[in-house]
Amino acid sequence: MKVVVAPERSFAAGSRRIVTVGRRSIGVFRIGDRFYGIRNRCPHQGGPLCLGRVLGDAVAKVPGDAEVSKSVLLLACPWHGWEYDLATGQSFMGGAEPGVRSYGVGLEPGGVLAAELDAARTKRVPGPYLAETFDVFVEDEYVVLET
Amino acid sequence: MDALLPYLSDYWRQYLDGAMIGLHGLVDAYPPGAPTSISGRARSFPAPAVPSSYADLRERVPDEGDAQLVVLNCLTALEAHRNPYYAAALATAVNDWVRDEFLDRDERLRASIAVSIAVPDDAVAEIERRADDPRWVQVLLPVRSELPWGHRSHHAIFAAAERHGLAVGLHAWGRPGQAPTPNGFTSTYFEDYLANQAIAQSQLISLVCEGVFERYPDLRVVLIECGFAWLAPLLWRFDKDWKGIWREVPWVKQLPSEYVYRHVRATTAPAHLPREPRAIRQLLEMIDVERLLAYASDYPHDHGDGLPRLLAELDDEGRDAVLTTNAAALYNRSRPDGSPDRDGVSAP
Amino acid sequence: MTGAVDLRARERTESQRLVRLVDSDVHAQPMPATLMPYLSVGTRRYLERYGRRTHNDMHAYPRARGAGTRLDAWPAKPGTPPGGDPELLRAQLLDEWGVDYAVLQVLNALDCYDPDHIAVELPRAINDWLAEHWLDFDDRLRAAIVVPHEYAHLAVQEIERRAPDPRFVAVLMPANAQELLGSQRYWPIYEAASAHRLPIMFHTGGFIRNLGAGPPSYYIASHVNTSPAMQTQLVSMVATGLFRALTNVRIVVTECGVSWVTALRWAMDSAWELMGIDHPRLEQRPSEYVHDHVWFTTQPVEEPAQPHHLLYAIEQAELADRLLFATDYPHWDFDSPAQALPRAVDGKLRAAIMYGNALELFGLPAVRSRPSHAPVP
Repeated sequence: MKVVVAPERSFAAGSRRIVTVGRRSIGVFRIGDRFYGIRNRCPHQGGPLCLGRVLGDAVAKVPGDAEVSKSVLLLACPWHGWEYDLATGQSFMGGAEPGVRSYGVGLEPGGVLAAELDAARTKRVPGPYLAETFDVFVEDEYVVLET
Repeated sequence: MDALLPYLSDYWRQYLDGAMIGLHGLVDAYPPGAPTSISGRARSFPAPAVPSSYADLRERVPDEGDAQLVVLNCLTALEAHRNPYYAAALATAVNDWVRDEFLDRDERLRASIAVSIAVPDDAVAEIERRADDPRWVQVLLPVRSELPWGHRSHHAIFAAAERHGLAVGLHAWGRPGQAPTPNGFTSTYFEDYLANQAIAQSQLISLVCEGVFERYPDLRVVLIECGFAWLAPLLWRFDKDWKGIWREVPWVKQLPSEYVYRHVRATTAPAHLPREPRAIRQLLEMIDVERLLAYASDYPHDHGDGLPRLLAELDDEGRDAVLTTNAAALYNRSRPDGSPDRDGVSAP
Repeated sequence: MTGAVDLRARERTESQRLVRLVDSDVHAQPMPATLMPYLSVGTRRYLERYGRRTHNDMHAYPRARGAGTRLDAWPAKPGTPPGGDPELLRAQLLDEWGVDYAVLQVLNALDCYDPDHIAVELPRAINDWLAEHWLDFDDRLRAAIVVPHEYAHLAVQEIERRAPDPRFVAVLMPANAQELLGSQRYWPIYEAASAHRLPIMFHTGGFIRNLGAGPPSYYIASHVNTSPAMQTQLVSMVATGLFRALTNVRIVVTECGVSWVTALRWAMDSAWELMGIDHPRLEQRPSEYVHDHVWFTTQPVEEPAQPHHLLYAIEQAELADRLLFATDYPHWDFDSPAQALPRAVDGKLRAAIMYGNALELFGLPAVRSRPSHAPVP
């Protein structure tokens, strides 16, 4: 199902909208010229994930030597701060645990292959928590969310 | 005490004599009358309870089932006071004595290196002094410290230990004159005794948060006489907090529990456990004891009968891991005939 | 809207409702300016000129996540911190989750490191503010009496002042004070509280010196350290004979986690078996003292990878009738009433934790009137 979110012109870079589609609340983010759609519910305890901060990944080779990544963007839940890759919904908080469902992962807009992205990402081990992501693209000058 | 004097310089002998410092074995930590300090069996021998000669060791320490290797911990240097030169001199003297009195007399014996607890550089120097002798298998530190052990200022010690394949043992007690709880001094032995496990928890938290296991990926740390039944709840909490606050310590790249199980072991004494077998079996589900525990007789101390009740719930493979193979892996700097080690005696 | 279910909405149509959710740890937060009107001229001037001269743990350990708060709990009004707006708290906590009673704990004076003339005024001001702006505002709100605990006689006076107001349901103490909490220095406070059947809630925070293993370097480390720190406090209370002397004292370990109680009880019992004979204050097995006198709020509840392990811990530490659900709203480690406890905690156990134990401990009615402002479903 396609949902029109806003005219592309009025959806400023660095901003976000939260839309309700049926019973689901979904956050749509614009970072530069890319759009991301992610479920507004943290898999941890159900917090309003899309009210959280978008942060570049923090990587430290050795203690004290930390850098912020510009390429890996993580959405941090405003409650406990659990973070999810904005593009894939993947969390990196520890090894697999039993009994956690995984969702399908949305395709990257612009056709970037998942493998290329993985290579650029943090080397942390993907964890079991996965936020549900959605396809968001521009069609006829409108930002469209596909659920 | 007398045994140690020949290993000290004239100056330090004079110092000990002038201050009337008697090295009688950590009487604060192990008051001789306390039931936990000396087991019934050990009391059957004349004082002092801790073997101060090889002959005493042979006579008193039960050699159940052919111990292939025994690790000796002389705790005297854990109670060095604040004079940093004394702390360094004492550690060197202790190690010289342990080498001559014990290591040279029985090839099954191994020992922990006593080091200055006052100055990390001196500790490193002492490690370097002993490192080429394969009979030293561990660096001995007190679990009690002024700054948590993970603090950067201590890292040179871990570097030296890792470099030489030595384990680092954090042993209960140490640092007299320092408050044993976060909020101050205790007034009963009951509280002081139990403070060791709370401090051990804080030390684990520190080691992980400061990235010690990231910087020193081959390092092994042993919690000696600090208990272990508290580990599961601590790791549940620690893992959960890390998931939210890892960004403050981005060098901690994995779950804290993963670091702990990979790098940390705990000795089996004290085993403060529930009485009911069902509760012990639940505990075995919560803590991977087959990975975590290394047997210690902890002679001459006595902390009760928890261990046999734990062992009763393990299968043969599990018992083997706890009684032999885990310690062997910990202390495998050298094994003369490739046979498994067994951790052992504490000797103030 | 998360959490609230249709059943709850239906119950609201009745004029009365059965209590289903008690939140034992919620934070109302006054700004310094808020309290000024309640203070004497001299104290006001002193604070305006010099501030409180106390060690502030938040300066030593900046709360790395959300400055310690849920980022969605900031009121719209500028200058109002999370927990500073009763309307938002009502909407975002009480109404959203169907909370029947919430126990407010104000932490601003938890360290009590002030000269006595200021120490006596701050808690009084906080309690006055609580009564006027919170307890009068919504009849679901209750509060813990803030007291100047390092001055026992002044603390007792404040307890006597507030105890007649049944909306004050507990006495607030810190988890970290100038002496170990079992010290007889604090017993008059415990005694006065107990005389009024008020439990004493020891809330994480206070006057933190980080002795023991020494100060950690990071907030995450200090946060995890609240567990072992409280372990030593419980040992202190057992060892000094507090529970033996004050046989009706009831304490609530608040915001320190719960699962660690298992191993602490085993260790204390083991030590008691080995050396109890020499410790005359330990007449009973320590775990019995703990079970008889100590309750625990759940938050931050441990989340073992195998959720049923939490049930093991509850069983091992005899916590089924001692756990009190808490959210810790509006802090970042907020526990959701809907999702914090695993599904494995169900039936009677869940009911006890979510409201039953709290009703009994705080003496709250099991049935309450529907508030007039409650949203029409």
